[in-house]
Amino acid sequence: MTEQNNNNKIIIETKALNKYFYEPEKFQVLKNINLQIFKGEFCSIVGASGSGKSTLLYLLSTLDTDYDGEIWMDGMNLREKSKNQLAEIRNEKIGFVFQFHYLLPEFTVLDNVKLPAIKLGKLSEEEIETKAYEKLEILGLRDQALKRANKLSGGQQQRVAIARALINDPQILFGDEPTGNLDSKNSQLVLAILKELKQQFHQTILIVTHDMLFAGNTDRMISFKDGEVEEDKYL
Amino acid sequence: MTFLKKIIQRTPTLRIAFTHLLGKRRQTLVAMLGVTFGIAVFIFQAGLITGFQTVFIEKTVNTTANIHIYNEAEKNRKSLFEKFDANNNDWVVVYSQKPKDEDPKIKAASEIMKDIERHPLVSGVSPFLGGQAIFRNGISQRAGRIAGIDIRREDQLFNVAQYMKQGDMLKLETTANGVILGSGLADDLGAKLNDKITVISPQGVSLDLTVIGIHESGLVEVDKSRAFVKISTAQKLLNVSGDYITDINIKLNNIDAAEALAKEFEHKYGYRAQDWKEANASIFSVFKVQNMVTYLVIISILIVSGFGIFNIQMMIIYEKLGDIAILKAIGYKDKDIRKIFLTESIVIGIIGGIFGLLLGYVVTLIVGSIPLDVRGFVAIKYLTFNREPIFFIMAFVFGLVATSVAGYLPARKAAKVDPVDIIRGK
Repeated sequence: MTEQNNNNKIIIETKALNKYFYEPEKFQVLKNINLQIFKGEFCSIVGASGSGKSTLLYLLSTLDTDYDGEIWMDGMNLREKSKNQLAEIRNEKIGFVFQFHYLLPEFTVLDNVKLPAIKLGKLSEEEIETKAYEKLEILGLRDQALKRANKLSGGQQQRVAIARALINDPQILFGDEPTGNLDSKNSQLVLAILKELKQQFHQTILIVTHDMLFAGNTDRMISFKDGEVEEDKYL
Repeated sequence: MTFLKKIIQRTPTLRIAFTHLLGKRRQTLVAMLGVTFGIAVFIFQAGLITGFQTVFIEKTVNTTANIHIYNEAEKNRKSLFEKFDANNNDWVVVYSQKPKDEDPKIKAASEIMKDIERHPLVSGVSPFLGGQAIFRNGISQRAGRIAGIDIRREDQLFNVAQYMKQGDMLKLETTANGVILGSGLADDLGAKLNDKITVISPQGVSLDLTVIGIHESGLVEVDKSRAFVKISTAQKLLNVSGDYITDINIKLNNIDAAEALAKEFEHKYGYRAQDWKEANASIFSVFKVQNMVTYLVIISILIVSGFGIFNIQMMIIYEKLGDIAILKAIGYKDKDIRKIFLTESIVIGIIGGIFGLLLGYVVTLIVGSIPLDVRGFVAIKYLTFNREPIFFIMAFVFGLVATSVAGYLPARKAAKVDPVDIIRGK
């Protein structure tokens, strides 16, 4: 597994990561996970539901902070970060795409995409707008920019969500079943876009999916079973 | 306005807040109306109660001397037996004991008055001789009180001229046996200006007096019983000598000094000196209760309008859990989320509050212009509202505090939403 990434930088690393659920009774969801995600990888995590793959994603993306072991991101131990610092890390270094798009329905496409950049506050209003248009261009939605988010089709909304995830040029893009709500045509489109992001922009991508066809098109597929890594292979 | 719009456009948290409010127009309006009515009632109630109290104080306190000096008769005097037999346990019974005929006269009154007048804090001194009398006009007959006064001095203390309904008060000096009747007393007697009436005192003196004026203080009970006469006329009626007076009324430059000064005078002259606060203590305690009830009502109403805000905020939060989750996922902090929802409550509070101030003001204007002829303790033709700016400021501040508190709890709840729960649950 190392031949491809020997010289690459590690974006995320877990060390002896364990996770328990306590409701309704104590249950170990993740068992001693040691994983490294490298810069520029397009990686998928597959597994049956209940295998712990989504739980891992929420831990890696800092949304869930209840775990044993260590998670390192971009050289930082996430356990040492406060809640507010984690929010800042999510804002600056992480992009999210979920099964549902979670766009603000009353806002325009453009405003939805701009939201994380305004929160980051590093660029001027004009620069943010230019950048938002760039991202929408990549996703083929430039002409939809001024429409209200809830006026778009499901496939378009999911692509707006991807544009929003990319606006701050994140270190890593997380996806939790990003094609789960889409028909096969739109799924293909999203996959193609993610591939392009990886190839053209060397975007690191980590996707949790149960769609084997989708996973088969990524660089690296990590299979989960009963909270453990069953298989980790480059395709 | 455009500037404000620009700020809202460029601040996502503000825009989200306004989007939420505009998305639920009807509920937002209801919540705002709650605040509006709460604040309007505040303005109305507080204005009415304090306005009434101000009128009452003006009428009552201003007809009370700042300091009143009189000779307090000793009540429940001990009998001689009891005095000499104080340590003995024998039973002593004295039947039908009468108060001693103690003279309420203030001795050396003119010297005392001159002395008081020299005091730097004193702005007016007026002598007074009071007594009971029967007033008669033909066959109508009423009991009342004779008030023997020096009309110029009395005017200086109590603005007699201002309350003259008919006639010229200064005629009291020039007319031999003149009388100024209280308006109620004049009505009861059926006496008009320039009529002659007969006054009979308990001392058995009967005098025919000419009505030279009718006076209306606005205090119904007083106007029904009081008649002003010259001191010399009162002395004739009560069959006493020419230097006899029973009371000295004093006006001060600063009424707050009354209490201390009353003590000083009491000590100095050996007569009872009562300040205006003491004389009207019962009224002030009634006002205290009245104020308490008013503020309780106001606070209850503001709490109710707080519930309105609490309600709509909880509704919005449940509806917008997805928005909250994604905002947190893309890096908005708990305090940003809290700010969004708190802003919503405060906007409701500010807009509802401004309309409440306007509504309250308009209602006091309308109600204050409805003529009514109330004759209770005091006679009033219109309700008087206190429209001091401090009430408007207080109402607005209270309104904002109520809405902020009501909005804080939902806002805190929103800030605590765990995005993982929402996103994984969908």
